[in-house]
Amino acid sequence: MLLQVRNLRAGYGSLEVVHGVSLHVCRGEIVGLLGANGAGKTSLLKSLVGLLPPRQGEVLVDGRPTRGQPPWRSVSNGVVLVPEGKMIFPDLTVRENLLIGGYHNPDRLLQLDIVLERFPRLRERQQQLGGTLSGGEQQMLALGRALMARPRLLLLDEPSLGLAPMLVREVFAEIQRLRDLGLTVLLVEQNVAAPLQIADRAYVMETGEIIPEGEADQLRHNAQVQRAYLGSTAEEQSA
Amino acid sequence: MNVFEPRYELMSRAELEQLQLERLQALLARLKRHVRRYREKLAGCQVQSLADLARLPFTTPEEMADSFPYGLFACPMREIIRLHTSVGPEGRPLVIGHTRNDLTQWGRLVARQLVASGVTANDVLQVCFGGGAYGSAGYLFGAQTVEASVIAEDPTHVDYQVAMLQNYRPTVLVTTPAIALDLAQRIEQRRLDPQSLNLRTVLLSRPVDTPTREQIAAGLFARVQCNFGVSEILDPGLCVECEAGSFHIQEDHFLAEVHEGELVLTTLCREALPLLRYHTRVAAETVAGRCACGRTGLRLMPGRRLDGRWWVKDTPVYARQVEAVLSHSRAAGRPFTVTVSDRQLAVAIELSDDLFADTVWVIESLRREIEAEFLGRLGVVVEVRFVNPRVPTDPDVATTTARTAV
Repeated sequence: MLLQVRNLRAGYGSLEVVHGVSLHVCRGEIVGLLGANGAGKTSLLKSLVGLLPPRQGEVLVDGRPTRGQPPWRSVSNGVVLVPEGKMIFPDLTVRENLLIGGYHNPDRLLQLDIVLERFPRLRERQQQLGGTLSGGEQQMLALGRALMARPRLLLLDEPSLGLAPMLVREVFAEIQRLRDLGLTVLLVEQNVAAPLQIADRAYVMETGEIIPEGEADQLRHNAQVQRAYLGSTAEEQSA
Repeated sequence: MNVFEPRYELMSRAELEQLQLERLQALLARLKRHVRRYREKLAGCQVQSLADLARLPFTTPEEMADSFPYGLFACPMREIIRLHTSVGPEGRPLVIGHTRNDLTQWGRLVARQLVASGVTANDVLQVCFGGGAYGSAGYLFGAQTVEASVIAEDPTHVDYQVAMLQNYRPTVLVTTPAIALDLAQRIEQRRLDPQSLNLRTVLLSRPVDTPTREQIAAGLFARVQCNFGVSEILDPGLCVECEAGSFHIQEDHFLAEVHEGELVLTTLCREALPLLRYHTRVAAETVAGRCACGRTGLRLMPGRRLDGRWWVKDTPVYARQVEAVLSHSRAAGRPFTVTVSDRQLAVAIELSDDLFADTVWVIESLRREIEAEFLGRLGVVVEVRFVNPRVPTDPDVATTTARTAV
């Protein structure tokens, strides 16, 4: 198990939004963390890397407890977060954006080559300002920036947000390729159907709790998940 | 070694416990949301570790019977695609619902047992439950998951069953202990050579003692494996009997505890009918520690029933049911003794003067009437005898109480 979370509770002020969540991610898996807006998914991710200090519970990376560590430490542990809304630096060039991602990696120039190899579109636009990229390219840049840190576990927060359906497919195909290279991914999404196509397993969150958990194929056929998130039942879909 | 899902069956204990904790927490969240009875019972309950399980409320078979038929279901009826029935305390009916996912999972759980028994896609399976008793469905799902060839005919007539063994040459026979013994006996009576059959494995639906196991193995010339299930939870599919002969609970799906000698089970993945700490009314012991087969699931040693349920030709019968049938007959109120064997229920009723007659046919018709009543209401053949009244020694016992000899 690469990531193991037990009874994590987190919140803001007097408001608790994650009520004792347990989950795990094994090496080489894509695990989905799915749920509607406000379910507590992003807060959970933030507390995994220390951006939102957890109130209770355990976070183990490779069996070592990481709770209470500052966020920058999680990067050296190999856990890298790609935040919601890409959060690239619009006034820096693509190349500078990427180099920032590898700030603690002594081989960042070598890594830059590897990343540019993966994303030829970014190579073409190396000198362009980040803010001038299209939405899909910005998402690729955010992914590439995370890869600069040579992560073992990639935490992706809503990579499909604000992208056209075709670009969503492209981003997801890229995530799948990263997994094939041996990377482990925890994928947070509001959109439920697409992640279940590429994930091995998934957790569905509702109001700060995990309701069902299971293999992706099984969740696709879970009537409650279908009703709540897929918008229609299996029969209606096939009709 | 034959393992169908090594990821789960051979999972390390640490990983398994993490998975169980996740599933238990999700189960509680689902129960609180979808089942009223549990919402009331679980108010304020939280689970932070598996040890907290001991603080959660139990579910009893009586509660399950009280909420008959659909009171404990966690899904609306339209999501339930299969209903199976079982018998609860005192013979009260129970119904177990399954969603599509439940059935898929059931198939996978049974497939684990079949694969552990050496079944592959090359095998031909004969599933013999003498008319489709509860349980045969699970084996069909399992066989389908393994993609073995299944003969989907389940005759009640033993000669036809033997003919099927000869005609289709199945390599695996899945059946109940009673039918397996009948088959072995029939084959011997007809002077057939059991070696001429193609059988390799006989998988029995219930555990049997070693002499019976050897008798079946010799009579059908095949290796015998057993299974154990609790029909309200899952039967088959609750555990896997490995090559070493231990029952491993499928712990990624069920949490097992032994509470005052009784097996208590929690379903972790069930969608339609999730049960929390269900009293199975089966005596059991569990053994932790690694097994020679490599499976990490707890080893279970099931014992006798604790609620006076008898198995007669694989039909569950309770003493109260016998009493109820007699109380509606002309022999109501007469003391009786019940003798139970695997195959038959014998009831000896003490005759009173008003029932006694000089003519044989009067007594005979009464006997036939009661026997027909038993067959009609319990579905088992009961042999009724009339005996002379005993001299009452203890007035309480002598009046109406059933005297049981098992």
